Amino acid sequence: MLSYVTLALAALFLPLFPFSMVFNLLLSRVQRGWQRGLIILLWPHIGIGLLHVADIQVSPWVAVWGVLTALLYAARALGLRDMGAWMGFIVTSSWALLWVAEAFGPGGELTHLYAVTFAVPLVLFALLGEGLTRRYGAAYTGLYVGLASSLPRFSLVLVLVVLAAVATPLFPGFFAMLALMLDTVPHSTATAVALALVWLLWSGAGMRLLTDLIVGQPGSTEVSDLGYASTSGFLVGLGSLVIAGLYLVGGMS
Amino acid sequence: MQGLLVLLIALPLVTALFTIVASGRFAQRIARISVAGTATTFLLATVFLWQALGGHAMQSVVLAQTWGILTVDPLSALLAFVISGISLIVHIYSVRYMAEETGYARFFAMLDLMTATLLLMVCAGDLITLLVAWHLVGVLLYFLLGQDMRSRSAHRYALWTFLTYRFGDLPLVLAAVLLFSAYDTWSLSEIFSRITADPLGHEFLGLPLPELVAALIALAAFARSAQFLLHTWLPYTMGGPTPVSALMHAGIVNAGGFLINRFAPVFVHAGDVLHWLFIVGLVTSLVGSVLMLAQNDVKKALGYSTMGQMGFMIMECGVGAFSLAIYHLIAHGLFKGTLFLGSGGVIKASRKDDGVPKDELYTFVVERRPPRQRQPWLLMALITLAVPISILVAAHLLVSQDFFQKQGAIVLLFFGWVTGAQLIFATYRMRTRNVWQLVTLIVFSFAVVVVGYTLISHAFDIFLYPDPGFRAQLYAAADVDIFWFDVLVVLMTLVVVSGWLLTYYAEQQGRRRARPLAGLWSSAYAVIAREFYVAALYGRLSASLMRAVNRINVLLRWA
Repeated sequence: MLSYVTLALAALFLPLFPFSMVFNLLLSRVQRGWQRGLIILLWPHIGIGLLHVADIQVSPWVAVWGVLTALLYAARALGLRDMGAWMGFIVTSSWALLWVAEAFGPGGELTHLYAVTFAVPLVLFALLGEGLTRRYGAAYTGLYVGLASSLPRFSLVLVLVVLAAVATPLFPGFFAMLALMLDTVPHSTATAVALALVWLLWSGAGMRLLTDLIVGQPGSTEVSDLGYASTSGFLVGLGSLVIAGLYLVGGMS
Repeated sequence: MQGLLVLLIALPLVTALFTIVASGRFAQRIARISVAGTATTFLLATVFLWQALGGHAMQSVVLAQTWGILTVDPLSALLAFVISGISLIVHIYSVRYMAEETGYARFFAMLDLMTATLLLMVCAGDLITLLVAWHLVGVLLYFLLGQDMRSRSAHRYALWTFLTYRFGDLPLVLAAVLLFSAYDTWSLSEIFSRITADPLGHEFLGLPLPELVAALIALAAFARSAQFLLHTWLPYTMGGPTPVSALMHAGIVNAGGFLINRFAPVFVHAGDVLHWLFIVGLVTSLVGSVLMLAQNDVKKALGYSTMGQMGFMIMECGVGAFSLAIYHLIAHGLFKGTLFLGSGGVIKASRKDDGVPKDELYTFVVERRPPRQRQPWLLMALITLAVPISILVAAHLLVSQDFFQKQGAIVLLFFGWVTGAQLIFATYRMRTRNVWQLVTLIVFSFAVVVVGYTLISHAFDIFLYPDPGFRAQLYAAADVDIFWFDVLVVLMTLVVVSGWLLTYYAEQQGRRRARPLAGLWSSAYAVIAREFYVAALYGRLSASLMRAVNRINVLLRWA
């Protein structure tokens, strides 16, 4: 009985549908970027910790449930225009895949590492989303377009962060997805194909979001671009993410 | 030399970074640095090709423990030379062409990044490096096609391209994962040597691993090389800058041919997949060519022409002529790149003067009226049939007694024949005062095409696949049942002969009689003009998907 309760709690923190709705409702209530970032950084580790402390062996059907949750949220992210909700859906989709790591992979510390791998780009995304809200009053596609022309430095950082979030090489998410597929193939080909589909949907959702934000004729509203220091900070952060990913997840060590 | 190999890929990366960082200081002069970097890269690639032609052994650099292997073998040396050469031409062309566009420095940085990624792709010696490069080509192409950040239509089609490329990435990922699971290494050379040693050593889902991996690789190649049903992005990506179109058609879209060649040691044990390659390539070349003829937009027609050529390239792989596919992708890259880079000039010139002489060629092609006088029809048709037969017989007498038994050789000759027949059809439509001079020219050109195809293919075969046993194995893997092979040969011959008969009929009848099948012809034309409704179908499907996810989002209250 206790293990079921622990599993249900873990399903809340490593979001499985419909428990995932709780996390997304909570995230939508938090407005500040750094608070969202903090939640994204910490949330899944509680779930992973619960699984490890209770020493629960994750069944393959839970992993399949995780992949289906990931598919559902990745597909739903295609239709989103609110950057905050997009972030919540992508992070939900990626964390749901951690069940695969627990069921088919070595689990343990590596699952924590994958969680960080998926979370860090979205933390940066949360900060950028707050920046857009400060400038335009909302972080929402369709309200304003042409950021590449009006905010070139901001757009550069946004593009790189979104690419990192959708597991583009050489960002660590790419290696994490590759490792998850390696873990899955010997157990279930269908689950591995579903994983690949999740990856495809992330890419589609990311590029749609970018296209809707950065492309087009910019409006007449005067807004200040990201400062040189902030831009450098973001770029150094992304560069560190690539290097850390290559060594910690990418097997470059 | 290992340092030079790293430099080959690192140099365009460095110039890309420098272009971005120093664009403020150098303004438009930054392009010169990018061009100089690409020229140096081209020189390095030339050195590697020179070495490969001289018979130097394969060179490798291992940058990390498990992956990050760079390799130069004949295939990568040849393609690195071609890619850096085309990239250099595109760079030089873009210096003035892009001068008035926004994002000038960004454009050159992206070109450099694309060059580096393509070089990384052809020099990848392990699966992860190959996956990284394969994936990044799609991402960079999205940004290159969407260079004009204000054009939503350019980005719409760039997104379409990106999604097709991502779709094509996934089978390659699955193939890589399967290979690693079976052989516990990412190194391509190690995997290939173990497959060669024991082709049936591993099975997956009840299928021999090489068959399954080859099928996945083929799927990845289909998406990259715009094969039928995965082709819709290609003709619509004309919103990007012309130099990007040139680079894309000359050096990116043909990567499918490279991929299949890279995995030749796998395909050699996957005869059934080779037959599928042939069928898909054949359908694509037919559909691409038909759609090309129905276009009235020059760049879109070029797009469909590329699709047809890519079908031809995949078809060549399907009959075991792997090295011929490489020759084809290089030749196509050069002529299509030239056409794209020259298309702006043609459009500009045609605004002043359409340049179409109102001669008999015009009346035949535009007004659909046959010219009154033609070159001897029967003679042309006879040449089409006589030349390949005489070459075949000559080869039988002079080269090898068992030439007729070598299906691969017949296949090569057949490709040469079909190409030569096209040449004669094209020449037949022209008019000249001296008929015999034209006939001599035709016989000579036809022989050059047929013999050239065979000789060039042989030269590429020896360079890319020096082991004669492996070459024979490749053709043997692609062998079809002799009955079906004969049926195919007869079918193709009938198509060519029917072409001549139709030409004769059209010439004799002209427009004197109403066409009995005019209604059917119009319906067929309507379907072709709407591009077989494939793009429309995908549009409907994607709209349905978006409606469905929006409904789910509303139902679940966006949580």
